[in-house]
Amino acid sequence: MSTMRRFHWFWAWDDEKEEKWLTEMAKNGWHLKKVEFPGSYKFEQGTPRNIYYRLDFFTDHKKKQDYLQIFNDAGWEHVQQYGSWQYFRKEALQGEEPEIFTDNESKVKKYGCLIALMVIFLPILMISTNRLNRRDETIYAIAAFLGFLLMLLYIYAMLKLIRRVGQLKRK
Amino acid sequence: MNSNLNKYLPLTESTAYILLALTEPLHGYGVMQKVKVVSENTVNIGPGTLYGALSSLEVQGLIVKAGETDRRKMYVTTDKGRQLLAEHLRRLEILVKIGSRKENS
Repeated sequence: MSTMRRFHWFWAWDDEKEEKWLTEMAKNGWHLKKVEFPGSYKFEQGTPRNIYYRLDFFTDHKKKQDYLQIFNDAGWEHVQQYGSWQYFRKEALQGEEPEIFTDNESKVKKYGCLIALMVIFLPILMISTNRLNRRDETIYAIAAFLGFLLMLLYIYAMLKLIRRVGQLKRK
Repeated sequence: MNSNLNKYLPLTESTAYILLALTEPLHGYGVMQKVKVVSENTVNIGPGTLYGALSSLEVQGLIVKAGETDRRKMYVTTDKGRQLLAEHLRRLEILVKIGSRKENS
């Protein structure tokens, strides 16, 4: 069976684009085998199928078994977990597009969980960048600069996610 | 009615159907199937939505765990949950009553 590796970068607020891309790949006969690291996907060739991919963000590992059981019972295959992202897929029955979130309230909750986690980590990132900045050596200056860029990206991601929640709430 | 239940109102359609389905003990997938049938296919609850709803309803004390079957947790609506559902239905009935009067006039 042939496999291939594809690189495609998706930001956290673009999870719906990632779902669409994986679904398109399956239509062409390439089925996700593994996300190896962010942006690197390994696919396995098979028959083209109408499989829909969905991503959820789930962090409560103590309750993971109950969580996965419900998805499994509802016909969703858990492809893998990457970080706290859960990759699910399900074959479309009678051309109907399956969904894991069936109302906007629960979609908002998913992003809310992600935003909350980012809010917790932001001060940690800020403090460590600030610490690095106090040292003189060039290497620390570079690290502090990278940390600063990361912080900007982080804040940008949070704003994007908050905007996404706003859009969902207005629907 | 208990005034502190007001903070949970109005219920989303999925939540109302979950509370209704759990007037008898069921596991997650049982809830999904039952809601689909009793709502005459108008409400379909996905597993992500269901899992989130069950967790919050449990935290709010509107449902409780009621044993396990085949490694699947069962839940049942509490008295508080039933009261809430009754109030939600009372409000809907008012809406339906005015709505159908308008339709006929």
